[in-house]
Amino acid sequence: MNNSRKDSLKTSVKDVFFQPRVLVVDDEVRIQKACQRLLNEEGCDVEVAENGIKGLKMIEEKHFDIILLDLMMPGMSGIEVLTDVKAHHPDTVVIVITGYATLEHSIETMKKGAFDFLAKPFSPQELRIVISKAIEFIRTLQDIATEKSRMRVMINTLSNGVLTTDNQKRIALANPAFLKMIGCRQKSVIGHKVSEFIKDSRLLDMIDQAIHQPKDIFAEITDDITITFPEEKDDIIIGVRCIPFRDRLKRNLGSVTVFHDITALKKIDQLKSNFISMVAHEIKSPLNSILMQLNVVLDGLAGELTEKQKEILQKSSNRIKSLTALSTDLLDIGKIESGLINQEREELNLIELIKDQVEFYRDQASSKSIQLITKKTLKELWLMGNRTNIEEVLSNLISNAIRYSPNGGKITVWANKKNDCAVINVSDTGLGIPQKDLEHIFDKFFRVKDKTTRHINGTGLGLSIVKSIVEAHHGTIEVESEIDKGSCFSIYFPKLEYKI
Amino acid sequence: MSEKQLILVVDDDPDLVEAVSMKLEALEYRVAKAYDGEEAMEKIKEEKPDLIILDVMMPRKNGWEACDEIKNNDDLKDIIVVMLTAVADSVKTTSYTHQDGKTTLADDYIAKPIDLDKLMEIVQDHCE
Repeated sequence: MNNSRKDSLKTSVKDVFFQPRVLVVDDEVRIQKACQRLLNEEGCDVEVAENGIKGLKMIEEKHFDIILLDLMMPGMSGIEVLTDVKAHHPDTVVIVITGYATLEHSIETMKKGAFDFLAKPFSPQELRIVISKAIEFIRTLQDIATEKSRMRVMINTLSNGVLTTDNQKRIALANPAFLKMIGCRQKSVIGHKVSEFIKDSRLLDMIDQAIHQPKDIFAEITDDITITFPEEKDDIIIGVRCIPFRDRLKRNLGSVTVFHDITALKKIDQLKSNFISMVAHEIKSPLNSILMQLNVVLDGLAGELTEKQKEILQKSSNRIKSLTALSTDLLDIGKIESGLINQEREELNLIELIKDQVEFYRDQASSKSIQLITKKTLKELWLMGNRTNIEEVLSNLISNAIRYSPNGGKITVWANKKNDCAVINVSDTGLGIPQKDLEHIFDKFFRVKDKTTRHINGTGLGLSIVKSIVEAHHGTIEVESEIDKGSCFSIYFPKLEYKI
Repeated sequence: MSEKQLILVVDDDPDLVEAVSMKLEALEYRVAKAYDGEEAMEKIKEEKPDLIILDVMMPRKNGWEACDEIKNNDDLKDIIVVMLTAVADSVKTTSYTHQDGKTTLADDYIAKPIDLDKLMEIVQDHCE
């Protein structure tokens, strides 16, 4: 064998950040020596034992990664040694050396847990191959162990609580944040039934639902639960998301539940909704009264009006109407934003949703001589999302397209897959958006203002609502537009896959 | 032509009551007014109106309660009830729909901000 080849093998062994410890158990001095020399060259730390009893004693004293074991030895047989090693040191890789490399023998040793076997007489190259295979195997096991402990550290560091169970509702993992949230002081909860530690019936119910979710659906079960503590500590509100954990055959292996402390958010949200209802009542009601009084006056019920008076009152009436519309939109945006904190998500078929929305807007479009169509691309395209929100996105985009197509034309709505994203597209042949305005169209209250759009009503909140929804679903929006040619909005939703 | 029907207008906003009343009077209906739920119940029992325009958010007995009381009383249940609902009422619950109005036993509803002409149409439809 030439030197450069040997060097490359050595480095590959050195790459493994451990020096493999090998024990050669063989009564033949010739084989002991040969193995020792060769494996030393390979960077292994090698020791020898001339019989089974001595070998087992050495294994008791320290850990060996690999054992080269002769089957035919005086005294204790190799098979006995193998059985003992596998019973007490399952991580140790055993390679059997045998003079009778018969099929029966091989099968028997493999059954007893041998990793591989070498038939006597073997060449140095054969030994090298078997050893590097074993090292590769040990390295993989180590990688898995490292990855596992990395994950454990990561999950334990999270400020969100994480709980996983098997399909018998026994705890497989519970991080400190979760234990703290439920006020559990016990450290060893693994293997116990969840019901021993969780008293909240809704939460138990959610885990139950996730575990028993039928194969053909995959939904995240979401709810807010309140946890009260017996001591003076304040209650906490936790946003809980629970999903089944499945194997490739879609069998439920257990559940994964993530807990997010939303106490502070909920408090702010409550303040906000109180404020919103106050605004709504205190501003909308008087505006409404004024509108009605103007209506009565305009009707001439409070005396004859001159044409000029009528014209002015009509104008004020219109201005107040748009103010009322604005406050309605304010309420909507408040409602939607507060709803985005923690909400039900399910698998939605975008194709169906688009069909429904297009159906809903068809009359409105055709009354303005607009052709509203869907492009048939896929039969189904699934997205993990909130139904009401995604419908809101579609409805905003379609109604915008209708409003900004004053001269008829065509609106096309379709969904497709692109770079692992589910994409919703709404394209129109309407007015188009000036280049300078493109970056602002998603700002709250922004509206494109020029002589062509002056007569189009709107408050400038629709697209900002769309944007908040899309962002809450981890998506992005792209717009392409050309003046007098039309616009095309594309929304990219990442395919969030919880399945393996 | 026989005398036009009596309509009771109930809302805690007097300006609104006045505007609605003027429109109704212009259509030659007879009008009675009340400014909260309790007062409305008294007026109903005294004057037995044919139709009530009833606001939801009011002090001293809200519109839902008043409506339930009317519709569960055999003497009063034939009175037509048209509810006035503001969007603000639905902020904490769900958005208000016509179907929801029916489940409260009311005969009809109109959402605030009220379109007076639409309200007049509703009243005329029920009073035909």
